[in-house]
Amino acid sequence: MSQPHRGRRRSQDAAGPVRASRGPLRFAPAVVLLLASTGLGVALAITADRGVPESEVDNRPVQITGDGYVTSETCRSCHPSQYDTWYGSFHRTMTQVATPDTVRADFDGVRVAHTHGRPMWLERDGDEFWANFDDPGWEGPEPERPRIRRQVVMITGSHHQNIYWYATGHDRGLNVLPGVYLIKEQRWASRSAVALHPPSQSVAMLNGHWNAICIVCHTTLGKTAFDTPYRSEPFDLQAIDTTVAEFGIACESCHGPAQAHVEANRNPLRRYGLHRAGGVGDGDPTIVLPTRLDPERSSQACGQCHSVWEFYDRAGERHANRAGLPYRPGDELRDTRFVAQPSVDRDSPEILAFVEDDPEFVRGSFWPDGMVRVSGREYNGLIDSPCFRHATEPDRTLTCFSCHTMHKPAEDRRTVAEWADTYQVSTGMDGNDACLQCHEPMRDDLTAHTRHGAESSGSRCYNCHMPYTSYGLLKTMRSHTISSPTAGETAELDRPNACNLCHLDKTLDWTADRLLEWYGTPVPVLSDDERRVAASLLWILKGDAGLRALTAQAMGWVPAQEASGTSWMVPHLGEALGDRYDAVRFIAARSLRSLPGYASLEYDFVAPEPERVNTAVRVLRAWRASPASRQRREPELLVDADGALRVDAMRRLFDQRDLRRLFLRE
Amino acid sequence: MTRVSDSAVDYSRRHLRFGWWSLLCFLTLGFGLELLHGFKVGFYLDVSNETRRLMWTLAHAHGALLGLVHILYALCLRLFPGVAAGSQGPISSSLIGASLLLPGGFFLGGVGFYSGDPGLGILTVPVGATLLVIAVFLIARASAALDGDPGESGQHPGGGKAR
Repeated sequence: MSQPHRGRRRSQDAAGPVRASRGPLRFAPAVVLLLASTGLGVALAITADRGVPESEVDNRPVQITGDGYVTSETCRSCHPSQYDTWYGSFHRTMTQVATPDTVRADFDGVRVAHTHGRPMWLERDGDEFWANFDDPGWEGPEPERPRIRRQVVMITGSHHQNIYWYATGHDRGLNVLPGVYLIKEQRWASRSAVALHPPSQSVAMLNGHWNAICIVCHTTLGKTAFDTPYRSEPFDLQAIDTTVAEFGIACESCHGPAQAHVEANRNPLRRYGLHRAGGVGDGDPTIVLPTRLDPERSSQACGQCHSVWEFYDRAGERHANRAGLPYRPGDELRDTRFVAQPSVDRDSPEILAFVEDDPEFVRGSFWPDGMVRVSGREYNGLIDSPCFRHATEPDRTLTCFSCHTMHKPAEDRRTVAEWADTYQVSTGMDGNDACLQCHEPMRDDLTAHTRHGAESSGSRCYNCHMPYTSYGLLKTMRSHTISSPTAGETAELDRPNACNLCHLDKTLDWTADRLLEWYGTPVPVLSDDERRVAASLLWILKGDAGLRALTAQAMGWVPAQEASGTSWMVPHLGEALGDRYDAVRFIAARSLRSLPGYASLEYDFVAPEPERVNTAVRVLRAWRASPASRQRREPELLVDADGALRVDAMRRLFDQRDLRRLFLRE
Repeated sequence: MTRVSDSAVDYSRRHLRFGWWSLLCFLTLGFGLELLHGFKVGFYLDVSNETRRLMWTLAHAHGALLGLVHILYALCLRLFPGVAAGSQGPISSSLIGASLLLPGGFFLGGVGFYSGDPGLGILTVPVGATLLVIAVFLIARASAALDGDPGESGQHPGGGKAR
């Protein structure tokens, strides 16, 4: 009985005064502690070093939202998987701000000898990157070209090359560093050396080049924003306020501006209604899913960048300068720009006008029959392909998404990096399944069609119908014009055919015979050389720089090496080490190093000419002294029965070389 | 008074039992999630399964914490047998409902989901959250009405009868 009372009294004794004296104050220490820690956290967050806010950057183009664009960070919250695979792609990193995380080259007190003019010096200042070099934007007398020191602020490319852009100091105008960093080779080369570019022609390095040209395809909704047309007056007199919605090719490049989509889908009922209806996109008019457009419009979403195109007129260019390119995914691409397709419109007023303005407009990007020959313009190849042009059923029409995917599916066991490194080819589409999607009947008896063993590289659809006839980034790419090999394309157009790109040791005559026998392909008129000399040797000795580059690359291609042997290639690749074109030399050296015994070849493709020639001579002498030189004594390989190289024949063919200047506009 | 006290004891036992079992259940779930982490199981860790990971983490956290709330509530009933005397039934039902619907909804929402949106199981979460708010409100209101020591309702802290 008494205990509860005692307890209550104790409670009253204790609690009464306590309630009076402590009351709300009993929580005071906890509240003070909470407020103090919150204040400390806020202070730390405010004072944390996050660099200069984008809105305050004034020496380079900046990212600003608007025009219905919300940026990928907004997309991320609802589409984490898609965001993740895009984030790992080279589309995202096509344009980046220069930071310690994005710059791949060493800037720490580095001297770069191989640039235009005097050597370039690179240095780090904290998180900033600086370069000291001859002003590439100088348009006055060469002897007066000034030395400048500028901050590197942006980067183009992250897969093969880092091209660095420096702040010119005038508004947001950029220009390119005269040296380019080759990522895989971990070395610098001059800007002109990394393009297939005539050695006698200076490469364009103009102030404002990025703002006016690169921006259109390497960013999302780029607005050049020159107050007067680019180069219509001195650069320093032009006001430049270049902005982008996002650097790199981001979500909204392919899906269109997403603000309406985001706002509409804040409503969970709407989202779940769409989910239940079969997934967002089927019935959601607020966003574009290129994979669900018709084949034409679907591929145009990629073609907006992966094509050779021009503005119809100056007015269109000026509009894009102010407001960005008007094309939005789902639109008809040709409504707002001219897509060149010389295979069908070579004589169109537009092409004729472009050629009048720039005589190399067609030749710099296309083979004589109009097939595109440079990388990064795959849409041009697609629209020339019979699988696209002649298709009548949407489900059986070739599109970019027949073989590629912009978001790696979860069930694809490749890592995102592996998928990105292989051009985002879809799961299983790196083999014959890509073509057998439509050509299913061939699956059962593939060899009857290919005339090669089932496991042979000659039974891979890609190798015959998408040969490596496009050039870009110091290597060759598969043609994206689906075609069948013919001897005629080589004899009449100087384009390598798929057969001889693998059977490098065979003549064009040999190929013509096989194609006639197997497929009834007409045999073209062939020259004596085409009947007697291996096609690859004619290409590398007589061809233009583009053809020489393709051939040199083919000699380093494993299937071709397996089909053709390698011992006979050495003197010809060695000769190419002295080619006038930097790019040809670079590729020849790489292929040579892939041959047995040449992996450790020491050769610098931009070294002084005597040094390069010396290396070529050493290679030739070593080869002559080796047993390899006597393995193939075949006249079509320009080796006589005694095992001696037919230098006279080589010289004769060399004298017929196509010396026209060639700049491939990759 | 006796009826109230008996009721409090009953509820206390009920929530102790429920709380500990619930804690066991969701700690086991947490252990399972750690295993998924340990063996780097893509079904749980891949970015494409980020929603599942978030939902199951929330299920584990909410379930375990609600288990503790049950135990705490059970102990409160022992300490203050008279608390919320008229509301113990609704409080108990709400707490148990919340413990089933909140973590259960998160878990189901992660079983099948739509990219960044959880599956339809997530619909039980707001119901569970509402029940939890109601329960806590009722307890808070009852606590505010308390005026005295643990034996205020005439019962020993140990649960024995006062008179």
